Amino acid sequence: MSSDGPTPAERFLRGILPENPVLRQVLGICPTLAVTNTMEGAVTMTGAVLFVLTCANVLVSLIRPLLKPHLRILVFTLTIATFVTIADRLLAAFLYDMSRQLGPYIPLIIVNCIIIARCEICASKQPVRTALMDALGQSLGFGLALCALASVREILGFGTWFGKWLGWRVLPVGLSERVWAPWTVMILPPGAFIALALLLGAVNWATARARARKEA
Amino acid sequence: MSYLSTVLLLAISSALINNMVFHFFVGCCPFIGVSRRVDMAFGMGAAVTFVVTVAAFLSWTITWFVLAPGAPLTTAVWRWLRPPSSATPDLSILCYLVYIFVIAWAVQLVEMYIRKFFPSLYKAFGVFLPLITTNCVILFVCLEIMKHVGPIPGSVPDPWRLDKALIYAVCAGLGFMLAIVVMAGLREELELCDVPAPLKGPGITLAIAGILALAFLGFTGMDANLAKRFQSSALPEGVAASTNPPTHAP
Amino acid sequence: MKRNPILDAWLVIALSAGFGSSLAAVQAALKPRIEANKLCDTLGQVPVLVTSATRAEKVVVGDRVYYRALDAAGVTVGWVVPASGQGFADKIELLIGLDATASTITGIYVLDQKETPGLGDNITTEAFRRRFLRKPADVPLSVRKDGAAAAHEIEAITGATISSESVVAIVNAALRQFAGQLRSGAIRPGGIP
Repeated sequence: MSSDGPTPAERFLRGILPENPVLRQVLGICPTLAVTNTMEGAVTMTGAVLFVLTCANVLVSLIRPLLKPHLRILVFTLTIATFVTIADRLLAAFLYDMSRQLGPYIPLIIVNCIIIARCEICASKQPVRTALMDALGQSLGFGLALCALASVREILGFGTWFGKWLGWRVLPVGLSERVWAPWTVMILPPGAFIALALLLGAVNWATARARARKEA
Repeated sequence: MSYLSTVLLLAISSALINNMVFHFFVGCCPFIGVSRRVDMAFGMGAAVTFVVTVAAFLSWTITWFVLAPGAPLTTAVWRWLRPPSSATPDLSILCYLVYIFVIAWAVQLVEMYIRKFFPSLYKAFGVFLPLITTNCVILFVCLEIMKHVGPIPGSVPDPWRLDKALIYAVCAGLGFMLAIVVMAGLREELELCDVPAPLKGPGITLAIAGILALAFLGFTGMDANLAKRFQSSALPEGVAASTNPPTHAP
Repeated sequence: MKRNPILDAWLVIALSAGFGSSLAAVQAALKPRIEANKLCDTLGQVPVLVTSATRAEKVVVGDRVYYRALDAAGVTVGWVVPASGQGFADKIELLIGLDATASTITGIYVLDQKETPGLGDNITTEAFRRRFLRKPADVPLSVRKDGAAAAHEIEAITGATISSESVVAIVNAALRQFAGQLRSGAIRPGGIP
C-alpha cells in the first residue's frame, strides 16, 4: 500500500462497510459469534476492541520508523497483549458483570486477527492520523456487525433489546407462550452460526445487486 | 467419584459437550479457512492437538509455580527480598502476555523438533504450524487452565493439577480435530451442490456449522447424567437413596 | 556486517520495560477495586442468605472455604457454604445459607450457571430458590416432579428436571461435607448458647 493511498477519512469509511472486518474480510469470527447473545455483550466487546485497536494502531504508527522487519510481529504481539490486559482489568474493575459474562473472550482479543492485521497492513506504514482513523473505522465496522447480529439474536431469543441495562422489551411478555414463544435456539450456539451465515449472505446479496445495478 | 470417572467426565465434557468450535466458538478462523479438504483438516487438527498439549504443560507449570497468586516460586523470591509489605505476591496480571509468548515459543519449538526428527510428519502438517500461533484454541485452553489453577488452598474451588490440565488440553484439541474433520468431509461433498451465490464460501460453512452445533447440543447433560450414575454407584446405600433415578427430560 | 542482537532488540526491551511499568501501575490502581468486586459477589449475599447477619468471616478448612455469618454483636447466626458441581450444561456455583446450628437451610443463591436459557436457567429465579427455604440440612433432599410433599422434598422446575436435580445434588454433597467438618471439630460450631 503506497503512502499516498486513501485519506484518513476514506480509511474511516472503508472500515465500516467496504472493508468491514467481519462481514467482508470474515475475520474475528470467534468473538462475533460468542458475545452476541445480548446487546450488552456486543457493545462491551466493541468497546474493548476499540480501545485495544486504537491504542495499538497509534503506538505502532508512532514507533514505525524504529521497527525492524524481523522483530515486527513480536512488537505487535507485545503491544496488543499489554493493551488487552489493561482493557481486561478495566472491565473487571468498572463493569464486573460484563467482565464475568464475556469471560475468556476479552483476553482472546490478543489472537483476534483483525488487530494484528490492521497493525501490519496499516499502522506500521501510515502516519498517526491515518492509523487512528483506520482503527476507529475498523472498530466501528466490527461493532456494527456485532450489534446487527446481537439485535437479531436478543430480540428473537429473549424478546428484549438491551434487556439487562435498559430493560427494553421489544416483544410483549403476554404474547410469548401461545402466539410466539422465544426462540431459545437463537441464544444458543447454533443460532449464532445460522444468524451470521444469513447476515453474510444478505450482505453479499446486497453488494452483488448494487454492483449489477451500477453496471447496468 | 473415582479418579477414572472424573477423568472420563472431563474428557467427554471438553471434547464433545463443550466442544471448542461448536460451544465456545474458538478456532473459527481455521475452521472456516482450512476445512476444504479432509487431509488438510486432519493435519490442522493434529497440529493443534499437539501444540495445545505442549502449551498446556508449559502454561500450567508457569502459572502454578510463578504467576498465580501466592505461587511457591514467586513467594520464595518475595520472602528472600524481604519487602516491607506482607501482601501475597500476585503476578497474574502478566498471564496473558506470558501465555501468548509461551504459545509462540511452543510453536517454534514444535516446528523445529518435527522438522528435524519427523520430516514426513513435517511435510504433512508443518505448513499449519506458524498459523497456530494465532489460533484461539490454544490461548483459550491456557486461559481455562489459569482459571483452575490455585496453589493457595481454597483460592480456587476444585483446583486442577497437571494431570487434569493435560487431559483437558488433549481432549479439547481432539474435539477441535473432530469438528474440523467433520466439516471438511461435508464441504468436500458440498462442492457438487448448487449453493446460492451469496452464501458461497464462509456463508454456507457457517450455516452447516450451525446445524452441526445443533447436533452437538444433543450431548448436553450427558456428563450430568453420567456423574449421577457414577456417584450413586460409588456411595453407600443410605446416601445413594437421595438421588432420584435418572430422567431424560432436560 | 555483523549486528549485535542486543542492540538490535533495544526497541523490544524498551517497550517491555514501558509496558511492564504501565501494567504494574494498572494493577496497583485497580486491584483493590477488582478484589472488592469479587468479594462483593459472595459477601454481598450473606445478609440475604442468613437473616440478621451483617458480616461474614472466612473459614478455610483444607481446600474448602466456608463463611461464618455474624450479627452486629459478633455472634454466629449462621453459615454460608459455597458449593459447586456439574449442572445440565456446565458447572453450577451456589451459595447455601444455613442457620446457626446448621440444621436448616435459610436460603440459596446461584453465583454462576450456564443452563439452557428459558428452561434450566430458571434455577436462578426467586420462585425456585424459595423452595429450599426452611428445608432440613441434616437429611438429604430429593426432587419431586409433582409438587413437594415431605419436608425434605423439592419440587422440580417444569422442563428442567436435570437442572433442578443437579442443584439438589450439589446442595446435598456440600451440606454432607460441611456437616462432616462440624462433627470432626475442624470448624468451631456457633450459635448454641
